Amino acid sequence: MPQTISQQLMFAQTLSAILETVINQFLGYNLHGIRALKPLSEKTLTIKLAELPFPLSFTVIDEKIYVSSNDAPNDCCLITSISSLIELKKEQQLTDLIKKDKLDIQGDLKVAQRFADIAQTLDIDWQSELAKRIGDIPAYKLGQLGRKLLKTLNFAGTKIQADASEWLIHQKRLIITAAEMSYFNHDVEDVEQQVSALSQRLDKLTKHISKLS
Amino acid sequence: MSSHDQNHPINNDTSDENTTHFGFQTVEKNEKESKVASVFHSVAQQYDVMNDLMSFGIHRLWKRFTIDASGVRPGNKVLDLAGGTGDLTAKFSKLVGREGKVILADINSSMLNVGRDKLRDLGLVQNIEYVQANAQYLPFEDNTFDIITIAFGLRNVTDKDMALRSMYRVLKPGGRLLVLEFSKPEHELVNKAYDFYSFNILPKIGELVAKDGDSYQYLAESIRMHPDQDTLKTMMDAAGFEQTGFKNLTGGVVALHKGYKF
Ligand SMILES: C[S@@+](CC[C@H](N)C(=O)[O-])C[C@H]1O[C@@H](n2cnc3c(N)ncnc32)[C@H](O)[C@@H]1O
Repeated sequence: MPQTISQQLMFAQTLSAILETVINQFLGYNLHGIRALKPLSEKTLTIKLAELPFPLSFTVIDEKIYVSSNDAPNDCCLITSISSLIELKKEQQLTDLIKKDKLDIQGDLKVAQRFADIAQTLDIDWQSELAKRIGDIPAYKLGQLGRKLLKTLNFAGTKIQADASEWLIHQKRLIITAAEMSYFNHDVEDVEQQVSALSQRLDKLTKHISKLS
Repeated sequence: MSSHDQNHPINNDTSDENTTHFGFQTVEKNEKESKVASVFHSVAQQYDVMNDLMSFGIHRLWKRFTIDASGVRPGNKVLDLAGGTGDLTAKFSKLVGREGKVILADINSSMLNVGRDKLRDLGLVQNIEYVQANAQYLPFEDNTFDIITIAFGLRNVTDKDMALRSMYRVLKPGGRLLVLEFSKPEHELVNKAYDFYSFNILPKIGELVAKDGDSYQYLAESIRMHPDQDTLKTMMDAAGFEQTGFKNLTGGVVALHKGYKF
């Protein structure tokens, strides 16, 4: 596979390094947060966003959260897209998103919920933290995204557990037919194509920007 | 050697059987090891500070990229070869967990000592071992490791082919080698800028901060004499590695090569 500029510039590693630094800095100030880490020891939450060409995995090891951009085995995985998160204006829409397959949570829900609890305890002002490191405008965008993600996780944790019947509808769908599988494969190809188009576009833009500057 | 040849050929083979490169100089093979040793004895104390300073901190991202690409899992046994002050070891030690093990191996006792002190200060003791070893003659049994990394180390090794074969031997089937090393920038412009930086600015920083311009001159020269991306890949193939490939980072200033033993 040809290498993209974002790979070369290690965008994934930069993002995960920034997340890791900020999260652990805040954990350092927050005893409650550290206590909340205990039950999550060696647990991993992975978030896959359709628009991001790499996953983000958060693993708790010895009172710290390690962030990586590889597809490590995880205990819980949240698969969605930025565009669906933007759709998520009201919490009630979450179950809709699940039904429409725009959001999927695989694995141990409790893990997602606990991570969300910690995130809430830390109450990181992502926008200002990121602005210190990457500038105002991207920080604003990422900050927005972070809030949406957190909201989703939180809501998923509480609402879905309470509302077991809704959840079961989703769970039942785990039994898949051959036709569904072939649709799925088709979708995967689609996403692959979209991602490669997106990264080509990113490359072009980056080249364009470097020409301008 | 400040007025170096800007068009120096990369990987030019002016060395015969008994000689090799020490930066741009041709030296006797047995002499290189002691010269490299004295470079790293002399930079050991300031190594970490200089690394951040000279790479603008980007070496941390290169290393993070390496860890991400290693596919490390809890329980793995990892060899951080030419591991020096142990940056990779520190991260691996966390990721392999209590069931796993990381061995920090380096030929140089000063670098190992700085590494050991640093890792102990970080509270990392449980699953790390320290071994003074030459990459060419690894003192481990066949099929021992799931992962071997060698970061910014291979270019200092006298007989690189021999070292690669030795790494192959101690890897488990299914295991992988990751070589993180300076390489050849893809674009001429980057190459020129990088040359200017390495030969004019880097040794000056070395002189000012570490009071050791010569060592940093050697580092710059050794980077240029290191095999380029394709050559290193071919060397890995020849040593027996399979599915070899590389990723250029920062425009090819650095490349991460990966290969498997099956
Ligand atoms: C530039 S440092 C890299 C240290 C560390 N891996 C890092 O990335 O920060 C190179 C290291 O290679 C070690 N080295 C040189 N020749 C070696 C050999 N033949 N076998 C093992 N280590 C060697 C040196 O002692 C030194 O610590």
